[in-house]
Amino acid sequence: MRICLIGFGAVGQGVVKIISLKKKHVKNKFNIELKVVGVSDSSGSAINQEGLDEELLLDIKSKTNKIYNYPKYGDNSLQGIELLDNVDYDCLVEATPTNISTGEPAKSLTLKAFNDKKDVVTSNKGHLALFFNEMISKAKENNVEFKFEASVGGAMPIINFSKKTLPSSEIESIIGILNGTTNFILSRMTSEGSSYKDTLEESKVLGIAETDPSQDVEGIDAACKTVILANSVLGIDCVYDDIEIEGITNITSQAIELAKKEGYFIKLIAEISKDKLKVAPRLVKKNSPYAIEGTLNMATLKTDLAGDVTVVGKGAGSIETASAILTDIINIKKTIRE
Amino acid sequence: MRVDLILELLDIPGQLVNVLSPISGFGANLVTVIHRRDDKNDDGMIPVKITLEGEQKNLIQCIDKLKEMEITILEINGVVSKEKLRTILIGHVIDTDIRNTADRINKLKGTYIVNLEIKLSDEGGSSAMLVIESDFGMKDIVFKKIREIANEKSLLIINEV
Repeated sequence: MRICLIGFGAVGQGVVKIISLKKKHVKNKFNIELKVVGVSDSSGSAINQEGLDEELLLDIKSKTNKIYNYPKYGDNSLQGIELLDNVDYDCLVEATPTNISTGEPAKSLTLKAFNDKKDVVTSNKGHLALFFNEMISKAKENNVEFKFEASVGGAMPIINFSKKTLPSSEIESIIGILNGTTNFILSRMTSEGSSYKDTLEESKVLGIAETDPSQDVEGIDAACKTVILANSVLGIDCVYDDIEIEGITNITSQAIELAKKEGYFIKLIAEISKDKLKVAPRLVKKNSPYAIEGTLNMATLKTDLAGDVTVVGKGAGSIETASAILTDIINIKKTIRE
Repeated sequence: MRVDLILELLDIPGQLVNVLSPISGFGANLVTVIHRRDDKNDDGMIPVKITLEGEQKNLIQCIDKLKEMEITILEINGVVSKEKLRTILIGHVIDTDIRNTADRINKLKGTYIVNLEIKLSDEGGSSAMLVIESDFGMKDIVFKKIREIANEKSLLIINEV
């Protein structure tokens, strides 16, 4: 399978790293030959139909931060969408940063790939949160595969899990913690008794919160994931603007202390059902499945036959998110064969 | 006829006797008492299951007496009758008339704030934990009322999942 990767930040580099690590395993176990034929970052691209060397890609990016410095096959005149017309590939791995205002460049890249009859795997949330139905119908129209497990919960299995493992049950609602950064901040405030402001600064130093943490702490990231799960798992036709959002910026250490005294924690919870689409801080019982710590994500799926089913996993991280992308790539090939 | 009750009692000596002593006065017999000490909650309360036998009117009198004594009856014949709800309010909780907030919640049918704790913030404002006991089935109404008050007074509300 020839892969074209657009977006060579933390997630994109994670994808290349695990392809390097796992390509033999994937070949032996699934008879799928993975080959990265094109990579693009904001500086340019590298293209080789015979396959680019994964370790060299990572080395060049780490040393020069510009992928067009890749020996012989680097090109500073081609990037993003232009790359798609200049490389012969089977699957686009779209790993550009999430843009919740326009969904770009993910939307244009994905639609272009669909029109060219290529499968797409993404970790991006913007275009899905804004134009979910449009993206799904275009994939169907073009008879291509479109997978986005990595867009929700990183390595926590939920979209594929609900479709492939629980097909006999009707899923009535999902309640979960879908953002690792806010879960880390709230967990630290609980264990250390520290203020929101100090804990946010600490999270930035540790590289858990971004320099501009607004997408996480204001609940935007969790709301995007709420839209994706509502549409893909519960079949609720909704977009980002339908979600009621309250972030964690007003949570005080005093509130956390009061909750703790009563045997509760405060967590940023996404609640997804036909009656409710909401992201807000909530009280959760100390020993409940919601009482997870650190950057972990979790979700409880309430089903009619299987009762409550809870999944937990690492919600962020380069390799963890890339693992969900690789799973989607493998599943595409398996689906085509089936 | 018989009735099974689950009461919530403080785990201190003499508490159970105080609760049970009025029962014989109403012509009801105490058939069983199961004291579930291991299930003590964070407030030091334990569930106690009692079975009473007698005429219907006598049993009703017993239940009314327990309510009058402000004993929490968690279940009657397996049907949950009371539940505890917890919510946190953050903002200018005191300055926006905490008394008014509490009174409006207490006015709801079968609903009482049983504990209210407030902590002041270093950056101004305060956070309050409200523990509310309400009749079973009132949860949505109670939370709706709290949401209405919180919106009116620009308070952040954190409800239980």
